[in-house]
Amino acid sequence: MTQILTDRRDVDFVLFEQMKVDKLSKHERFKIANKKTLKLIISEGRNLAINELFPAHVAGDREGCKFENGKVIAPESFRKPYKLFQEGGWVSLAEDIEWGGQGMPVAITYAANECFNAANCTFMMYPELTHGAGKLIEKFGTDKQKSLYLKNVFTGKWGGTMLLTEQEAGSDVGAISTSAVKNYDGTYSITGNKIFISSGEHDLTENIIHAVLARVEGAPAGTKGISLFLVPRIRVNDDGTLGEPNDVVCTGIEDKMGIHGNPSCSLSLGDKGNCKGTLLGKENKGLQAMFIMMNEARLTVGVQALGCATASYLHALNYARERRQGKSLMSGKDQNAPSIQIIGHPDVRRQLLTMKVYVEGIRSLIYYLGMCIDQMHVSDNEDEKAKYQGLVDLLTPVAKGYVTDKAFEVCNHGIQVFGGYGYIKDYPAEQLLRDCRITLIYEGTNGIQAIDFLGRKLGMNKGKLFYDLLGEIKKTITKAGQAAGLEGLAAGVEKAVEKLKKTAGILMKAAVSPKALNAFAFAHPFLEVTGDVIMSWMLLSRAVIADDRLKTKAGKKDIPFYEGQIKSVEFFVESILPVTSGKMDSILAMSASIVDIQDSSFGGK
Amino acid sequence: MNIIVCLKQVPDTEAQIKIAGDAKSIVTDDIKWVMNPYDEFGVEEALKTKEKFGGEVTVIGLGPKRVTETIRTALAMGADKGILICDDAADGSDSIAVAKALAAAIKGMEYDLIFTGQRGVDDDLGVVGASVAEFLDIPQLSLIEDVEFAEDGKSVKVKRPVEGEVLTIESSLPVLITTQKGLNEPRYASLPGIMKAKKKPLDQKTLSDLGLDASDFGEGARKLKIVELLSPPARSAGKIIEGESPQEKAAELARLLHEEAKLL
Repeated sequence: MTQILTDRRDVDFVLFEQMKVDKLSKHERFKIANKKTLKLIISEGRNLAINELFPAHVAGDREGCKFENGKVIAPESFRKPYKLFQEGGWVSLAEDIEWGGQGMPVAITYAANECFNAANCTFMMYPELTHGAGKLIEKFGTDKQKSLYLKNVFTGKWGGTMLLTEQEAGSDVGAISTSAVKNYDGTYSITGNKIFISSGEHDLTENIIHAVLARVEGAPAGTKGISLFLVPRIRVNDDGTLGEPNDVVCTGIEDKMGIHGNPSCSLSLGDKGNCKGTLLGKENKGLQAMFIMMNEARLTVGVQALGCATASYLHALNYARERRQGKSLMSGKDQNAPSIQIIGHPDVRRQLLTMKVYVEGIRSLIYYLGMCIDQMHVSDNEDEKAKYQGLVDLLTPVAKGYVTDKAFEVCNHGIQVFGGYGYIKDYPAEQLLRDCRITLIYEGTNGIQAIDFLGRKLGMNKGKLFYDLLGEIKKTITKAGQAAGLEGLAAGVEKAVEKLKKTAGILMKAAVSPKALNAFAFAHPFLEVTGDVIMSWMLLSRAVIADDRLKTKAGKKDIPFYEGQIKSVEFFVESILPVTSGKMDSILAMSASIVDIQDSSFGGK
Repeated sequence: MNIIVCLKQVPDTEAQIKIAGDAKSIVTDDIKWVMNPYDEFGVEEALKTKEKFGGEVTVIGLGPKRVTETIRTALAMGADKGILICDDAADGSDSIAVAKALAAAIKGMEYDLIFTGQRGVDDDLGVVGASVAEFLDIPQLSLIEDVEFAEDGKSVKVKRPVEGEVLTIESSLPVLITTQKGLNEPRYASLPGIMKAKKKPLDQKTLSDLGLDASDFGEGARKLKIVELLSPPARSAGKIIEGESPQEKAAELARLLHEEAKLL
């Protein structure tokens, strides 16, 4: 049947055939996560997504948020979905049951959240940021902070946010100037102005707990002098009841390109000298703490982008199957030849297959990272834990930077398939593109992701993480090489891996040489080629399973699905990897022009 | 109060229905199966009633193995027990036979109340509810939009729409109520509900387990035979009324309604 958000067959394939998520249930921690329960979670999540979140997607976009007298009114259409989402226990699927979570694997959370994001990614910003703030409290909170806030945050009864950005401190978070002064009672008085705070103020929840970066008086300059504070919008008494409003005032919301249903707030803290917060973690260690959450938040952004991409793909696919326009190119000059569905036109097919390979490759990568996190949690072997942690660290910039770039490209194709109808608001394609666009920017722009990847992650443990990853890819190549019919595709992926290894080696050396600027000028292209190779790996791994099923036990209904898996990797290896290889040549040439060109030579004045 | 809900698994209302080659059935390959929306009202009403008076909610379905998924959904919503009547011999049974099997399963149980949807959204026959009541020899209240129990939980007052008016009916228990749209808003399964559903009993029974004779069931025993399934005729294009002014258009509309549609 026609699906509009995520392809259930493919979701199940990745969860149960490729990642084998249900195997986690043999561990005590996940013993309730058997296949039946996991499938029911996905089914019931879909129901909620399709019936409640999806209808509010367009409505939330058109309504937007209203700013009146210092208060932000969230879209009316979000109220009922939020209540149902919160009461259903969906805010913290993977968290500890003791603190209001559901104790499920992270991988299944990503699968459920993919569908929720496909239905309404703007809506999902509210619970996802709330969950992120909860993670900080769980990890760094004192017993008192936890008992006051954590359960209400993890269950979504209260909202949560992150307050990092200031006018002069965007990508350079070390430049923040918000200050904190310690009071006699151990609390801190916070003063400063924050901007671009998603869900910073709204009326979906009775309280909002802000995680705020600020400098304690006399702290060292730069990133080493930043501390993290919990600042509730309304103070919470020791018995858990709500007290006086804290001095946190919303001074305005931004008028944005997309994600209209979530307010991006300017917040003024301590304008009346009465904004009180408590220290979360240790003084001057705030940035490290925030980055623990930031890494998770980056994966969440990847899930959000995947949601936009899968929805855009399925809308385009359904449209291409119904819309009749033009005759088959093969019908020659026959004036009476019937119009065909546009899925029959090679250029439309090219776009649809491009969308398919990225959506499916990204889905596999995201769930794979979820599985790495879960395996890290259940493993009792330190080396194994370190291996999974390493894979997550290394691949986070890919799952954010590369994934969001490609998801946006998918949404762009999504508009093109609709033609003129893609550009008008009667169809969902344009909103998905607008909503998706933010994912390339927030939680660290994709430029920052590329620098993080080349400058930090690649060289970690002398490149061990990266070589471990290549080792994992090799395992799949070996398997594929042994499957009759897949040898050529395995060889294609292997060639790309070898070239990536060489490119990485050269670029890594250049990055610590006097030519470092030249190397970093190619950080983003390097992230892209790495992502391409990872896509080819994920698609090859899918094909290995599909090939085995086709040769052994595929049911009649499943044959087109499995054959599609093999066609996907074939397309990727034959049509995309050669371009990737060319891009690696361009990186290796490391043209100095980018660095050498004079500022004035850019022209324009 | 012990409550039973009979439920049916039907194609998703959004599914595109294709008629099979035999012209007597539909192609089921591509179909997503869901709980009959009218039965969802029944599950919700049963859960609300249980929340008020205590007791147990049992859901019963008949059909192939896949119906387990629908029963699990009801368990995840909060029902306590499930029973699936699953027997190849029951495939292709008509509504009366289905009602007979459901009644046989219910007969030995202690119950005060039975809810079921006023009809299935697939065949739209609306026969099962009344037939189950008949087989069990209990009253049936059909097409109910509002249910209110006496404080002591011994009797029920319901509202049923009749020709633009509302009929209020009182009945003692046990009674079978068929549920109509507007009765309530069915809840979604919550995550804690989903986790608990796994541990709830779901019994599977064959026709012989229920003491029934297989020859009364299945295609061969149908009293109601499907002769042929046809797709509804394609809708013809609409007509846009042309005219210089609203008055002119209105006059033309009135003329068409009078002369062509013959409605006036």
